[in-house]
Amino acid sequence: MSENSTVKEAYVELKKVNKHFKDFHATDNVDISIPKGRLVALLGPSGSGKTTILRMIAGLEHPDSGEIWIDGKKVNDIPGSERGIGFVFQSYALFRYMTVYDNIAFGLRIKKVPEKEIKEKVTELLKLISCEGLEKRYPSQLSGGQRQRVAFARALAPNPNILLLDEPFAAIDAKVRLELRTWLREMITKLKITSIFVTHDQDEAIEVADEIIVTNQGRVEQAGTPRELYSHPKTPFVAQFIGNSLPVKNYDDFRFFEKYEDEVTAIIRPEFVNVYKKGEKVQFLSSAEEATVEDIIFRGSSFEIKVRLHGNLISAYRSIIEPAVEVGEKVDVFIYRMFLIKNEEISIISNQSLKQESVVI
Amino acid sequence: MKRKSIIPGFGISFGITISILSIVVLIPLCSLVVFTSKLSFSEFLYTVTRPRVMSGYYVSISTALVASLINAVMGMILAWILVRYDFPGKRFIDGIIELPFALPTAVAGISLTHMTTTNGWVGKFFYDLFGIRIAYTRLGITVALIFIGIPFVVRSVQPVLEKIDIQYEEAAYIMGADSGTTFRKVIFPELLPALISGFTLAFARCIGEYGSVVFIAGNTPYETEIAPLLIMSELQEFDYSAATSIALVMLAIAFVILSVNALLQASVSRRVNGLA
Amino acid sequence: MDIRKENRILKWVLIIISFVFLAVFLILPLIYIIVTAFRDGLSGYIKGITDEYALKATGLTIKATIIAVLVNTIFGLAAAWCITKYSFKGKKILSTFIDLPVTVSPIIAGLIYVLTFGRQGALYKYLDPLGIKIIFAVPGIVLATVFVTFPFISRELIPILTAQGTDEEEAAALMGAGTFTIFRKVTLPHVKWALLYGVVLCTARAMGEFGAVSVLSGHLRGKTNTLPLYIELLYQGYDFTGAFAASSILVIMAIIVLVLRLILEHKGKKELDVSRR
Repeated sequence: MSENSTVKEAYVELKKVNKHFKDFHATDNVDISIPKGRLVALLGPSGSGKTTILRMIAGLEHPDSGEIWIDGKKVNDIPGSERGIGFVFQSYALFRYMTVYDNIAFGLRIKKVPEKEIKEKVTELLKLISCEGLEKRYPSQLSGGQRQRVAFARALAPNPNILLLDEPFAAIDAKVRLELRTWLREMITKLKITSIFVTHDQDEAIEVADEIIVTNQGRVEQAGTPRELYSHPKTPFVAQFIGNSLPVKNYDDFRFFEKYEDEVTAIIRPEFVNVYKKGEKVQFLSSAEEATVEDIIFRGSSFEIKVRLHGNLISAYRSIIEPAVEVGEKVDVFIYRMFLIKNEEISIISNQSLKQESVVI
Repeated sequence: MKRKSIIPGFGISFGITISILSIVVLIPLCSLVVFTSKLSFSEFLYTVTRPRVMSGYYVSISTALVASLINAVMGMILAWILVRYDFPGKRFIDGIIELPFALPTAVAGISLTHMTTTNGWVGKFFYDLFGIRIAYTRLGITVALIFIGIPFVVRSVQPVLEKIDIQYEEAAYIMGADSGTTFRKVIFPELLPALISGFTLAFARCIGEYGSVVFIAGNTPYETEIAPLLIMSELQEFDYSAATSIALVMLAIAFVILSVNALLQASVSRRVNGLA
Repeated sequence: MDIRKENRILKWVLIIISFVFLAVFLILPLIYIIVTAFRDGLSGYIKGITDEYALKATGLTIKATIIAVLVNTIFGLAAAWCITKYSFKGKKILSTFIDLPVTVSPIIAGLIYVLTFGRQGALYKYLDPLGIKIIFAVPGIVLATVFVTFPFISRELIPILTAQGTDEEEAAALMGAGTFTIFRKVTLPHVKWALLYGVVLCTARAMGEFGAVSVLSGHLRGKTNTLPLYIELLYQGYDFTGAFAASSILVIMAIIVLVLRLILEHKGKKELDVSRR
């Protein structure tokens, strides 16, 4: 657990929670603790149990064992509708036979709020999501982004204490997705509502969340800020799942990396590698190795250069304003560090020529 | 039972479902089982192997089979023209196909019978020209069963044919297949499961059909007496053991037909989807 | 180029075969009924359909049909909701039992009710002292009608509710909505046309059921004769004009059903598309 969660009081907490679907162990002894007001991402590959965790917090699923606490109360036996939760479904689950207005008003009408107050609240929310004028439309007449925002407004209407979002951006076009990410982050920060969202997209988690909980095969691998996960992965899975990771067996063939033990795999990320054109005047040139460029991929804001080194095809990024390299060209490659994975443990080894200097990513 | 879902109302909907199902289906079915258990096996065997009963099964099955085969072919053609062609009267045809579901079987029965007797419009024509009798023969039974079975194959093949992606045919076309080959190798295999399921449903329905057949059959023992009619006659003589025995064999036949279909469908879906 | 544009000769051969086939097997019998019904002129026809027993038979048919449709509507909604919105053990068996009645011969359907409620049935000794007669009486006819149309409505609803999923209901439940609110506001709008469609199919089949009702009715003229049974009676008494006149009532109802079906099916398809989105 990260230090924050032990210092701050937990608002949403899962204690030793287990959940099976037939033979499938969807949630395996999960402990999670989320402080109030945080925007947290549950990140993991599909089938890792992240959506199950979210649905159990909402009361849509019930754990086989373990406890779920919200705001100091055990909620296992409290129905989802009384847990003070707003839920945004992956499909949005907008009521397809109701207008936008009726959709947002639904929760308030169930609570028997007077129509006049409902009108005020819905108008306010429509303004918040910049959908004024759409109240008479049906969900099928909205764009993907609009639907998502209406789903968001509908979840917020009854003033929930916690907002849960299941893959909120999965069903949206790539371009709108980027805008919505920023929008959602701003919106949640402004409302200061404790929010948990599920995603399988690490970029999305890193960009939007204050804190990320990485799940894999029903277990929590690591929880922490995006930066912590990035630079200090605690498990092999996190090291490989976060970032663009290349496993390397023969890491001790690389210059200035010594063999530690047998049965160890190293992980190299593009950020750990610099590629220099021959003749470029740079630091550490003396400790670089020569390699051949095999492929160049234009990534929009940079080039991804793939070089062959000791049998491994290693990726590195190179800015587009730097002198271009070409396929087949001999270049100098310098590797700053690697993650070493042995069994379930992970350590960082740095290029020994850097020994005296501190490296910051 | 698992912990209940967040959606309320399981108790009430399940309760209503089970109550009505029990009264209408489960309890009567149980009494069939109870009654069956009281039958003596030798008596059962004697009843169902009586030549008249055996001939009843034979008449029912053979006419149902012929009618269903004809409907399988016609059903494919009808589904094909409804999906692939445009022509005047298409909506009319699409609507009228359902007539056998909508028209009471007894009405269809008397109409077909009256029409195909040697005095009727159609019957006279066939009798005078070819010397063929339709009403009161197995041919007549087959005609009635064709009427009953028309919608089954059409309605099961049609939606599948509608959904076949044109890309399959385009792929075959680009690789040089002519339209006949494309149909045989690309389209027909896609339709086969639906065709089989439509065929077996029609077949099972035709074996048990009573209303439309009883008039046209003439009900001559050993010739045109169908199995459901035998049950009916036993019932009218209050011989419930005999009626039940004959019915059990018919249920077994229907069960076998529907199971074969289920197995075929499962094996096709395994082949297509790679898993059960 | 549209590679589906094929051979015109094949196209018209297939269309002509289809037209001839349907004309002979479907349309000719219909025309025949109408022509025979009017064989003795309009007065003969009117006499046929206004016969006292014809009217009584029509009344009983309508009564049995209405009850069967009501029971199957309630059942269909409950069963479809239950099967598509919850997960529970035995769901497959439940579906099998619901579909069972249409695969059973109507005569056998009649038989199992005779075995259940008849003199030798297990329930007879409880029901008889209460004065409840089922076999050879109206309740038997109603039960038989319910049985043969049993899955008609649930079968129309289940595919749509399956395609629609449970998200909307879960969303409503999370906001605290109760069973009937969810059902009325969220679920029912998805299936209203399919429900009507099912009701129409159910009505058509219920009106015309012959075999099962025949076993259970006892054929008491004016008491337990439904319209199809009455037609049988007339036909076997060689009153062909009367039989076909009574049949024409059912033909008209069948045609109304077919037209409604076309309209509702179209709306229902749209419904399914919306639910799949």
